[in-house]
Amino acid sequence: MMYYQLLGPEITVAVLGLLVLAGSLLLPSHGKNALGYLTTIGLAAVLLAVILNFSREAIFFAGVYQIDMYANFFRLLFLSAALLIMLMSSRYTGLFGERKSEWFSFMLFATLGMMIMVAAGDLIMVYVGLELMTISFYILTAYLLNDRWSAEAGLKYLLIGAMSSAVLLFGMSLIYACSGSTVFTEIYQALLAGSERPALLAGIVMMMAGLGFKISVVPFHMWTPDIYQGAPTPVTAYLAVASKAAGFAVLVRILLIAFPPTSLDWKLILAVLAALTIIIGNLTALPQTNVKRMLAYSSIAQAGYILVGLVAANTYGLKGVLFYAMTYVFANVAAFAVTAVVEVAEGNAELESFNGLGRRAPMPAAVMTICLLSLAGIPPMAGFAGKLYLFSGAIQGGYLWLAFIGLLMSMISVYYYLHVAKAMYIGISSREDRVLLPVPVRIALWICLLGTILMGVYPGPLSELTELAVQLFSAV
Amino acid sequence: MIMNMDSLVFLIISAFTIASALGVVLSRNIIHSALALILTFLGVAMNFFDLGASFLGLVQILVYAGAISVLIIFAIMLVMKPDSAATNPPTPSRDTHFIGGLLAWLVMIGVGMAIGLTRWPAMASEPAEADAVGTLATLLLGNYVVAFEAAAILLLLAAVGAIILAKGDENP
Amino acid sequence: MENLFINIARTLSDWLLQLGLSHFWTDLVLLVVQWTAIILIITLNVIILVWLERKISGFIQQRLGPNRLGPFGCFQTIADTLKLLTKEDIIPSQTDKLIFKTAPMFFIIVSVLLYAVIPMGKDMVVVDLNVGLFYFISVGSLTTIAILMAGWSSNNKWSLLGAMRSVAQMISYEIPLAFSLLGVVMIAGSLNLSAIVAAQSNIWFIVLQPVAFVTYFIAATAELNRGPFDMPEAEQELTAGAYTEYTGMRWALFFLAEYTNLVAVSALAATLFFGGWQGPLLPSWMWIIIKTYLIMLVFMWMKWTFPRIRMDHLMSLSWKVLVPVSLINILVTGVGIEIFKGMGW
Repeated sequence: MMYYQLLGPEITVAVLGLLVLAGSLLLPSHGKNALGYLTTIGLAAVLLAVILNFSREAIFFAGVYQIDMYANFFRLLFLSAALLIMLMSSRYTGLFGERKSEWFSFMLFATLGMMIMVAAGDLIMVYVGLELMTISFYILTAYLLNDRWSAEAGLKYLLIGAMSSAVLLFGMSLIYACSGSTVFTEIYQALLAGSERPALLAGIVMMMAGLGFKISVVPFHMWTPDIYQGAPTPVTAYLAVASKAAGFAVLVRILLIAFPPTSLDWKLILAVLAALTIIIGNLTALPQTNVKRMLAYSSIAQAGYILVGLVAANTYGLKGVLFYAMTYVFANVAAFAVTAVVEVAEGNAELESFNGLGRRAPMPAAVMTICLLSLAGIPPMAGFAGKLYLFSGAIQGGYLWLAFIGLLMSMISVYYYLHVAKAMYIGISSREDRVLLPVPVRIALWICLLGTILMGVYPGPLSELTELAVQLFSAV
Repeated sequence: MIMNMDSLVFLIISAFTIASALGVVLSRNIIHSALALILTFLGVAMNFFDLGASFLGLVQILVYAGAISVLIIFAIMLVMKPDSAATNPPTPSRDTHFIGGLLAWLVMIGVGMAIGLTRWPAMASEPAEADAVGTLATLLLGNYVVAFEAAAILLLLAAVGAIILAKGDENP
Repeated sequence: MENLFINIARTLSDWLLQLGLSHFWTDLVLLVVQWTAIILIITLNVIILVWLERKISGFIQQRLGPNRLGPFGCFQTIADTLKLLTKEDIIPSQTDKLIFKTAPMFFIIVSVLLYAVIPMGKDMVVVDLNVGLFYFISVGSLTTIAILMAGWSSNNKWSLLGAMRSVAQMISYEIPLAFSLLGVVMIAGSLNLSAIVAAQSNIWFIVLQPVAFVTYFIAATAELNRGPFDMPEAEQELTAGAYTEYTGMRWALFFLAEYTNLVAVSALAATLFFGGWQGPLLPSWMWIIIKTYLIMLVFMWMKWTFPRIRMDHLMSLSWKVLVPVSLINILVTGVGIEIFKGMGW
C-alpha cells in the first residue's frame, strides 16, 4: 500500500504552478496581482500540510522516491523560504512589469524541483529534480531584462550550470556502470561485495564536483559572486538559501546512504574542501563594497561551515547541517530583504546606499544587524547554536583543526558583517526621508527576526526536529 | 584484446563520432560546426544501434539530429555575422588555450585511467531484450513516473522561459 | 505470382550459397540487390509520376498537358530526364561548395533509407525493424537538414528564405504527424509495420482512426512541401526556394527525392490506414502499389485544386488546430481502447 497522499505537496505545488502560468496568460493585467496572493496562500497551505504530516514516512516505487522525515524537514525549509521570499518581494516584483505573474510560477517550479531532489532515492530522480530547479533559476536570474548585469548573470549561470550538470551526469553514469543500479540502497548493496574500483572513485569525485557547483564549494565557487550580484535580489536570496540547502540535502543523502564512509573514505577530501571554502569565502568577503556581492562571498563561507557537519558525519554534525541550514534561511532572507528594500529605494546595493539607514528605516536596520550577527555566529542568535552543533560534531569526529579554522574565520567574518552595520548607523546619508516599507516585507522581516532570535534562545524544538530527521542515517 | 567484428564496428563508429565532434570544435565556420554536430549526433545514434538499443538511437536522431540541431542552425542564422568564414573564431589568449587544454588532458587521462584500471563487474541483471519499448514505457510510467512528470513540467517551463527572455521587455 | 519476388530472392541466395559464400556474405549481397532494386524502381517510378502529375494538372486546369512525344505524351519525361542528365552542372562561385554539393546527396540518401521498413508485400520488407514506424518518422525528420544545407550554401536570399520557411513548416508539422500515428500504434499495440498490417486483417484503421488519417494526410502534405503547402518554393515569390541555384543533375536529385518522399509517405498511409498489402485475388505486392498510387492521386488532386496557404496561416493551422486535434484523438483512442477492453473484446 503506497500512501499517495504523501505526494500531495509535490502535486499541489505543480498544479499551483500550472494554474498560475495559465492565469498569467488568461487574466487581464490588473488581475495579475491575485496570482501573487494565490501563490502565497497555496505555499502556506502546502507548508501546513507538510507540518501536519511530518512524521509520516513512505517509500515509493521500490526506493526511487522516499518521503521520510529527512525529506520532510527540507520540504519545510524550502516552503518556508519560498513563502518568506514571496512576502519580501511584494514590492520588488514591480520591476518585472508584465512578466511578474510568470515569475511566481517559476518560483513554484523551482520549489518543486527542490522538493523532488530531497525526496529522491535514485540518481535519475535527483538529476531531474536538479534540472527542474536549475532551469527555473536560469530564467529567474536573467529576469531583469533591462539590466545588463542580470542578463550577464543569467548567461553565466546557464553556461556554468550546464557544464556542472554534464560533470554530474558523467559521474552518475560511472557510478551506475560500477554498481548496475541507480537506486541508492541498491548501489550500497552492490558495492558491499565489490573490490577496488578506480572508476567508482572517479564517478564519486565527479558527482561531488557537480553538486559542489550547486553549493558553491571552493574550487567550484567562481560563479557565485557575479550571479548573486546580477540576479534580482529575491532570486538571489532563494538561490543562496534554498538551492544551496537542496544541494546539501542531496549530497548528504547520496554520500551517507549509497557510499557510507565505512566503505569508502571521502571524509578527508571533504574536510580539505570545507577548510578551503571557509577560508577563501571569508577572506574574499572582506574587501567587498557591494552588499549583494559581500553576501555572496559570505554564502560561500557558510557553505563551508555546513560542509563541516557533513565531514563529521555523526549525529551532532548532521543535526548541525540541518539546524544551520534552517537558521541560515531566516538570517539570509532577512539580509536580502533589507537589501532589496534599499535597492528599490536607492537603485543599487552598494555599501554607500546603506548609509544612514538606521535613521531612515530603524526596523529593517535593526533586523539586518541582528541577522548579520546571526550569520557571524554571535550568541544568543540562532547562528551560534547552529555553529555549536557543527563544530562540536567536528571535534567529536576528530577534526579539531577544522573546527579551529571555522572558529577563527567566524571571528574574522564579524568584521565585514559589522561593516554594514557601521554604514547603517554611523554612515551619513544626504537623504533623510523615511524608506517606505510595504506590509508584506514588514511581516517577512518580523518572521525572520523572531525566527533568528527564538531559535538561538530556545533551540529545543528545532533541535528535536533535526534529531528526528537524521534518524535515517543512524545506522551509519 | 581480440579484434572481432563487433569491436571493429564499434571502433569505426566511435572514430566517426569523435572526428565529427572535433569538426564542431575546430571549424572556423559556425554553420559547418553545427552541421558537424549533426554528424556527431548521428554517430552517437549509430553507437546506440550497435548496442542494440535502436529505440534510443532513433530518439537520438529524431530529437537531436532532426530537431534540436535544426533549431541551433536557425538561431545561428538569425544572429550571424555576414562573413561566415570567421564566425567561430578561436579564443585570442594563448594562455587560456594552454591551461584549458592541459586541464582537459589531465581530466581525460585521469578518468580514462580510472576506467581502464577498473575490473568491471559482470552485469548483475540480464540485459534488457532488444528494442524493449514496452519495458521502457513501463519504467517511465511506473517507478519513474515522478521524474517523467517533472520532466514534462521542465520542458514547459523552459519553453515559457525562453519565450519570455527572447521577447524582451515590452517598454524598455 | 504471390511469392514471385520472394522466390527470386530465395533462388539467388541458394545459388550464392552453392557458390561457397558464407551466410554473412550471402546476406550482404542480397541486401545490395534489394537496395539496387528499390533505387531502380524509385527512379523509374518517378518518370511515370511526373508524367502523371502533368497530365492530371492539365486535366484539372482544362488543358492537354504533354502530348507531343509518344502516345499521350508519355515519353515527354524521359526526354526531360535525358536533358537534365546532359545539362551543364553549374556551381555558383560564392557558394559554400562542400555543403552545396553534399546537400542533394544527403537528401536522396535519407529519402531512400525510408523504404527500409515499409512492407512491400507479404513477407517483403528489407529490415523488419521492431520500431519501424518510429524509424520512419525519425529518419524522415532528417530531410529538413538537407533543405537547410541547400538553402544556406547557395548564398542566395531566395534560397535561404525558402529553406527557412520549409524548415519552420516541417518542424511544426512533424508534431501532428507523429501524434496522429500514435492512435494507430495504440490500437495495433506495436511500432512494427508488419504487425500493424497484420492487425488490420479484420478492419482497416481508416475506419477506427478517421481523425488520425485526416491529420496525417494534412501534416504529410506539409512535410512534403507540396501544394497547397508549398510556401517554401512558391515560384511567384521565391523562384524555386532552396533549389534556386541548382542546375542539371543536382537539381534533378532534389526533384527525385521529393517524389521519392511522396511515394514513401503514400505507401506508409496505405500501410497504416488501408490494410497495407492485404487484399483479395491480386498478389500482395500488387495491392500495395494500387493503394499507394490511389493515395498519390489524391495528393496530386489536392495540389492542383487548392490555392496556396499564407505562411502564418500555415503555422497556426499546425499549432492551433492539428496539434490539439491529434492530442484529443490520442485521448479518445486511449479511452476507447479501455472501454472496449472492459466490454470484453
